[in-house]
Amino acid sequence: MPADRSVAVRRIASVRAAGSITAQARAGRPYRVRSLAAKLVLAPTVLVMLVCFYGSALWTVYISMTRSFLLPTYIFAGGAQYQRLFHTPRWQVAYGNMFLFGALDIAGTLFLGALLAVLLDRRVHFEGVFRTIMLYPLSISFIVTGLTWQWVLSPTIGFQHFVHGLGWTDFVFDWITRPDRAIYTLVFAGIWHQSGLIMAIMLAGLRGVDREIWRAIRVEGIPAWRAYISIILPMLRPLMVTCIVLIAIAVVKSYDLVVAMTNGGPGFSSDLPGKFVVDFEFERANIGQASAAATVMLGSVLAIVAPYLYFELARKNR
Amino acid sequence: MRRASREARIGRIGLYLLLIWTCLFFSIPLLVVIATSLKTSDEVRTFSIFSLPTAPGFAAWVKAWYSACTGLNCGGVHVGFWNSVRILIPSVIISVFAGSVTGYALSHWRVTGANIIMLFLLLGAFIPYQVILYPLVKMFSTIGIYSSLSCIIAVHVLFGLPMMSLLFRNFYAGLPEELVKAARIDGAGFWRIFVWVMLPMSVNILIVATILQTTGVWNDYLLGLIFAGRDNMPMTVQLNAISTTSTGVIEYNVNTAAALLTALPPLLIYFFSGRYFVRGITAGAVKG
Amino acid sequence: MSAVSIRELSKSFGPLRVLRDIDLPVEAGEFTVLLGPSGCGKSTLLNAIAGLEDIDSGTVEIGGIDVTHHEPSKRGIAMVFQSYALYPTMSVRGNLSFGLRVKSTPRREVEQRIAWASRMLQIDELLDRKPSQLSGGQRQRVAIGRALVQQAKVFLFDEPLSNLDAKLRTEMRVELKRLHRELGTTIIYVTHDQIEAMTLATRIAVMHAGRIEQYAAPDALYEAPATLFVAGFVGSPAMNFMPGRLVSGAVEIGATQVPLNGYRFRSTAAPGQNVILGIRPEHVTLAGEDHQEPAIDADTLFMEPMGADTLGWFQCGEHRIAARLSPQVARRISGSVRLNFVMDQVSLFDPLSEARL
Repeated sequence: MPADRSVAVRRIASVRAAGSITAQARAGRPYRVRSLAAKLVLAPTVLVMLVCFYGSALWTVYISMTRSFLLPTYIFAGGAQYQRLFHTPRWQVAYGNMFLFGALDIAGTLFLGALLAVLLDRRVHFEGVFRTIMLYPLSISFIVTGLTWQWVLSPTIGFQHFVHGLGWTDFVFDWITRPDRAIYTLVFAGIWHQSGLIMAIMLAGLRGVDREIWRAIRVEGIPAWRAYISIILPMLRPLMVTCIVLIAIAVVKSYDLVVAMTNGGPGFSSDLPGKFVVDFEFERANIGQASAAATVMLGSVLAIVAPYLYFELARKNR
Repeated sequence: MRRASREARIGRIGLYLLLIWTCLFFSIPLLVVIATSLKTSDEVRTFSIFSLPTAPGFAAWVKAWYSACTGLNCGGVHVGFWNSVRILIPSVIISVFAGSVTGYALSHWRVTGANIIMLFLLLGAFIPYQVILYPLVKMFSTIGIYSSLSCIIAVHVLFGLPMMSLLFRNFYAGLPEELVKAARIDGAGFWRIFVWVMLPMSVNILIVATILQTTGVWNDYLLGLIFAGRDNMPMTVQLNAISTTSTGVIEYNVNTAAALLTALPPLLIYFFSGRYFVRGITAGAVKG
Repeated sequence: MSAVSIRELSKSFGPLRVLRDIDLPVEAGEFTVLLGPSGCGKSTLLNAIAGLEDIDSGTVEIGGIDVTHHEPSKRGIAMVFQSYALYPTMSVRGNLSFGLRVKSTPRREVEQRIAWASRMLQIDELLDRKPSQLSGGQRQRVAIGRALVQQAKVFLFDEPLSNLDAKLRTEMRVELKRLHRELGTTIIYVTHDQIEAMTLATRIAVMHAGRIEQYAAPDALYEAPATLFVAGFVGSPAMNFMPGRLVSGAVEIGATQVPLNGYRFRSTAAPGQNVILGIRPEHVTLAGEDHQEPAIDADTLFMEPMGADTLGWFQCGEHRIAARLSPQVARRISGSVRLNFVMDQVSLFDPLSEARL
């Protein structure tokens, strides 16, 4: 699994699973038979989950509260690592970037994805062609995506160079090389990569809308654009929340994209927490700081997922 | 029979224009990369990457495949390609098998704490890799397989487990319980039901799972970087290394060709099995 | 209040002709029910009237205006759907008012119409609720209310009661009848439930395979079905059918000749012609013991007590005959019996054209 690409996939599968847990609990226990084989099959899964996922995560959280530096030590130090972390300029930038990149990426991806879904829902010709073009970025790795956008946005060979070649030599588009703008270029790539997915999810939702609702809308003479804004898209609100959660988690986990596109630069101006952790763990060998930063990532994901799952389960139990 | 009004016709034109514009946004980066990869080295130095190649040729592709350089090592991306293939095949087979069996056990058999196991899997899927990378490295070092082919395969199976299990569980939970009841009355047990009743009905979900896991493993960067070791560096890691090598003149035609070669396998899978690919990533969300 | 007139309307889905030359005149204030089994084209016809379905040929006139090429919203209609099609994110008030607000109806006017419609349907209390907080019956009322506030000339109902349970359905039937009487609007109503059709309609159009088989008042339809299909479809249990042969003044069934007491032939039928005799279960009686009148021998199969009366099933040759009997009579029956038909209530059909003779 790559760091980011299939985040979406897992989230979707997971959300559905969460739904069925409660659906099952509500419907009473279905008839099922005990089997030793089933237990034997699940035992390694449980072991692996407990040790590799939860045990490791707890270990990291604990290390973040110790005095660990080059190597892990188990001497408790309270919040000292966090205090230091949030006084580190590079982390301040990375952490702030997560929110900036996240807000713009969510807004842009959701807007473009929903817009494209609505356009395709209007029974257009060549829908298959449009869909194929919108979705193909999703199959490409973030590394290739990042490199591609790095080339396209590079002032020396990319878009700016191209416009200069057209004769408009004053044109400047050098965001990827500017410390105050580089983070915004990541948004282009993020939207390019993910909005196809949002389009596909939203389109499936739009196609699921009761046909009679559309008939009622026609009989009442409500213009299509008004119907989408006032009736249809509000009906898909839960789906949009799912989409937002999907993108938000992808943002927190982002690593490959920033590595390939800007490598966190210029300087560390486009750094993100995911890259900060990996760099501190494996290049700078500061396991204490890395663990603290990783714990902040974990907390961010939980802050997104926990309320979502809670409301999602509550909604399904109703 | 109803005639479209003038407004409606203008609306349609606007709709198609918007669609075509967005499709340009989606396709231009790929087209630019393709165009650049077909250029000669001289052309790349003088023109912007947006210009079309004057004498398109595959020289850059050949160079990328056989002799692109990572630092001083000029083996080309075919090394990474074969590494990726060696990682991919066992990872995908084991992941899909483990996921399907786990999903089956969780859906049609009464297991104490099945709901808790599912919650574990669910939350496990949300944990960022960065949180557990270091402990995993330590674990694998302790066992003595860190930085090896088996290590990266194990890591892919591990990280694929939650998603694969839940994918299969959701699918199997949707199959009628009567199937298992009937098979049990016929005297079949856990494995026999799985092999003779469940698997034959799972063709579609097996394809979906295989595609997801294949593109996932192929496109991975972080895990390959950390767990595969120098000798098994997957294609994505090699590609990034080639592209960031800054000695001498940057050969954009070779770099873009290498990027395309890396992107090609998942792209081909997508173009030839788009339906399954899309179904895999969207089916769940709609119901969820 | 407007008349609706449909002329020579045809519609095909590919090679499948779902509506064939439909002619349907609906007078102003009439309650016309389109009745038929699923797939007969009744919903397609309703959608064609609404303008939700394009048609191949023919015209639709509403209130004397040819609306064949008009948008649904420009036809002066309002529609109630099977699934109600309420806008789930809007309150009841929002559902009622949205269409009016889009047409920039003055706010006072909107308020008045909502007040009127909600009083009419007794949903005043529910105005601030969401559709998900309503029961099936309440949703149904809101759906009707949304049609009412449009103050349309014609109301179209597409199987509106089919999602309700039996008790509510009876209640809503009464309600619809009351609404029709109070509003006096033209209603076209699609259903596959013949009881709904019989109780509500001023005229029923029975549809089969894309055609209107008969368009008549409920009692006329029941008493003198125009085709074999209508005879078999309307009425529960279905009309009994027995093949026979026409002789002068009588029908010969097996060896028995039963006299046709003043049967009014629609077409001239020659003696010797094969016919199908149809008789409703309530017009089958037990013959007396005296062997005087012509009667048909039959064997008792079984009895189905239905409360108010009992359905007796008899085997007569290769045919099965149902008779509606009083429970007292039914209890005494067993073995072979002789059955009598109330002959002025029979229907005769041509076995080839399936039309009434």
